[in-house]
Amino acid sequence: MKTFTNERLNEKILYEELSSGLKVYFMPKPGFVKKHAVFATNYGSIDNVFVPIGEDKQIEVPEGIAHFLEHKLFEEEEANIFDKFSKLGAYVNAATSFNQTSYLFYTTDYFYECLEILVKFVQSPYLTDENVEKEKGIIAQEIKMYEDNPGWRVLVNCLKAMYINHPIKIDIAGTVDSINTINKELLYESYNTFYHPSNMVLFVVGDLNFEDIIKTVKDAEKKYEINNFDLNRIFAEEPKRVNEKLIEDKMFVSTPLFHIGFKDYDLGLEGKEAVKKDIITNMILDMIFTPSSEFYNELYNEGLIDSNFGAYFTGKKTYGHSLIVGQSNVPEKIYERVEKLFSKDPTEFLINEDFERLKKNDLGNFLMGFNSVEFIANNFTDLYFDKFNILDYLDVLESIKFDDLLKRFKKHFNSENMVVSIVRPN
Amino acid sequence: MEFSNKRVELGNGIFLNLIKTNKFKSNLLSYYFIRPLNRDEVTRNSLVPLVLKRGTEDLNSSIQIEKAFEDMYGANYSSSVNKRGERHVIRFSAEWANGKYLNDNEQNSKVVELLRKIIYNPYIENNAFKKEYVDQEKENHKIRIESKINDKRSYAVNRCIEEMCKYEDFSIYSLGYIEDIDSINELNLYKQYENLLNTSQIEIFYVGDYDEDFENYLIDSNSVEREDVVDIIREKITASVEQKNMVEESLDVNQGKIVIGYRTGIPFEDELYNSLLIASDILGGGPNSKLFRNVREKESLAYYISSSVIKYKSIMLIDGGIEFENYQKTVNIINTQIEELKAGDFSDDDIEISKKSIKTSLESIRDSIFHISEFFLSQIIGKDSRNLKQVIEGFENVNKEQIIEAANKINIDTIYFMNGKK
Repeated sequence: MKTFTNERLNEKILYEELSSGLKVYFMPKPGFVKKHAVFATNYGSIDNVFVPIGEDKQIEVPEGIAHFLEHKLFEEEEANIFDKFSKLGAYVNAATSFNQTSYLFYTTDYFYECLEILVKFVQSPYLTDENVEKEKGIIAQEIKMYEDNPGWRVLVNCLKAMYINHPIKIDIAGTVDSINTINKELLYESYNTFYHPSNMVLFVVGDLNFEDIIKTVKDAEKKYEINNFDLNRIFAEEPKRVNEKLIEDKMFVSTPLFHIGFKDYDLGLEGKEAVKKDIITNMILDMIFTPSSEFYNELYNEGLIDSNFGAYFTGKKTYGHSLIVGQSNVPEKIYERVEKLFSKDPTEFLINEDFERLKKNDLGNFLMGFNSVEFIANNFTDLYFDKFNILDYLDVLESIKFDDLLKRFKKHFNSENMVVSIVRPN
Repeated sequence: MEFSNKRVELGNGIFLNLIKTNKFKSNLLSYYFIRPLNRDEVTRNSLVPLVLKRGTEDLNSSIQIEKAFEDMYGANYSSSVNKRGERHVIRFSAEWANGKYLNDNEQNSKVVELLRKIIYNPYIENNAFKKEYVDQEKENHKIRIESKINDKRSYAVNRCIEEMCKYEDFSIYSLGYIEDIDSINELNLYKQYENLLNTSQIEIFYVGDYDEDFENYLIDSNSVEREDVVDIIREKITASVEQKNMVEESLDVNQGKIVIGYRTGIPFEDELYNSLLIASDILGGGPNSKLFRNVREKESLAYYISSSVIKYKSIMLIDGGIEFENYQKTVNIINTQIEELKAGDFSDDDIEISKKSIKTSLESIRDSIFHISEFFLSQIIGKDSRNLKQVIEGFENVNKEQIIEAANKINIDTIYFMNGKK
């Protein structure tokens, strides 16, 4: 057993790797009523080309299969997983993102019983032709719900504008057509490759005992013949240029929505370096596009944007992008203004004083995040798959220098890697 | 573990509620102004927080306010306007990292001062708000109100309530109305602001760690002499339905949305109310519910389908997203499930599951600084003196007969259906 502590946060994380290769992490939260567990695999919608476990040829699977699998793992031969958790008063859910699929529950009582069910149901898929078929109607309705969501549409179109080959541009849930080609065999093949314990992590947070957690997991987990293998995911090479400068779409909305994207070419980073780049880029964006910035207030006072305006960077090892988002009656004007601003010397709008203040801001917000078991659980697994321990976050934040921002700005924000997606009222 | 809470009256209709806990890394201070919900003031009420955010007496632009909060280790300021039954509730809050993690003893009072400035010392010119700020926020507010169609699910729910309660104040949209914005100006909005300060019931909540000095500081700084406080009457609820209503709208959408509103006539003060909550949960609360099992799992008609109860109006709502052509099929299944519920066609297991689910969500309130204050507010509005533990216990002894009795009071009133364009 290993312990990571952070005195400043007054938090610690306990860790143990089981003989199956499964890694279990636990953050004690004395006094909290809610107990939360996440069982996550490093597998999301972008992992659609890979070499299946035990084989040597790569395959490409239909769009939306990771999400489909997430739905189907709740199926069991006799009982329904939802029923089992419900009977214990627990709330269970799952989510698929571009990069990970996570299964989680929270409860106030019967935690260890719930944990046992979680480990068992994720590790024992029960797929039949019939239950796979049945799910297609439900997922089709989920897809249609997203089709009517303008915020989602404007994002997906922006990704399509930036990326040429990378699967980040495909919809997480797939399309009604693509999910109709999914079958039991494809699901098992994906499952067996990506749900191997060496590709997963179990994270628990709450007022609990680590030894009891480990014992529960050991008793519940499935035995695997292969303890470790190198997962081979294949990403087609992504050119260092954007796909389209502009994508426009029409929907039933009131005001046009826009996403301005900057595609990142500084890729391949992991751990501390990746987190550092992430924080630096987000600080740049915060210094320009939040209500405390001159530029934001200029646009706001001219009536070009409303309080929905903002920006963030998000990225992983194989992709990354900054997004400037909002709604405006003149989205093309926002694009021009951003382009014009970015053509100036960055020292005109990136100011050291703002940087110091923002650091304090980020420190306080990170601290406050530790009030929420959901915040901790979500961020832990996300950072874990980037090979980073959440408790080291403050150290990285504090190591950042103002000069890092200027360097990054010049590298990342250029008009060549800039795109815009607009959804207009029809 | 029960929270120790203290309630002090600081003036006519002004109360300070202190909830002491050292469980969190932050503290929260919220001001709630409670108003009657009516068409006359709802739009102006919704605009007030937006204009207040634009400047205080000494920090006279929003950029200065924003910078000040960032400098206080990212204290989070927020405001909201909501309806709770036929009340319009305007909230101003700040949550900030506890100074003990930052070696800053001044942190608490600095944030409180700034929040109070925003609420009580706005930037004014000639006894009115600044015209420029009001004009800009009017335009933004129009966009905000128009944007309600962007979220199709909540739009559908609001449309159902609007149709169902068209002769009741509860139908009023909490952000107000575009056509009422033009007549607002910096003078009449300032008048309404003064009205809010002088005549609203004000509930102040502090959740976090504090000592006697800080308590005295909160008491002193918030004590005001006032005259009349506006009286809010308990909203009327109806049990019977005179005319069933079906409203269909054709919009350019990919998914149909069905929302069905029911009258129950069971007031939240009534002993039977907990039975109604359990009945609604059995019907459409979670993944074990009748609607989830039948509409989603068995027939694959929907991704989401659920039911919930609106407390102060005793209305039950069912909402789901379906294929346009499955409208009738879905309505039929919903009707059958309600008939089964009324006939007692559910198991003891179903009852237990619902009780546990309600208990878990109530217990979870204890882990959220914001939900703790919202819980206490809800108890105050409902004139309910029970603590959280007692509220939870109130569900334990509900039996099947009572659930059936409550279920039999569910009467369909209005169906709203968002259809596609043919």
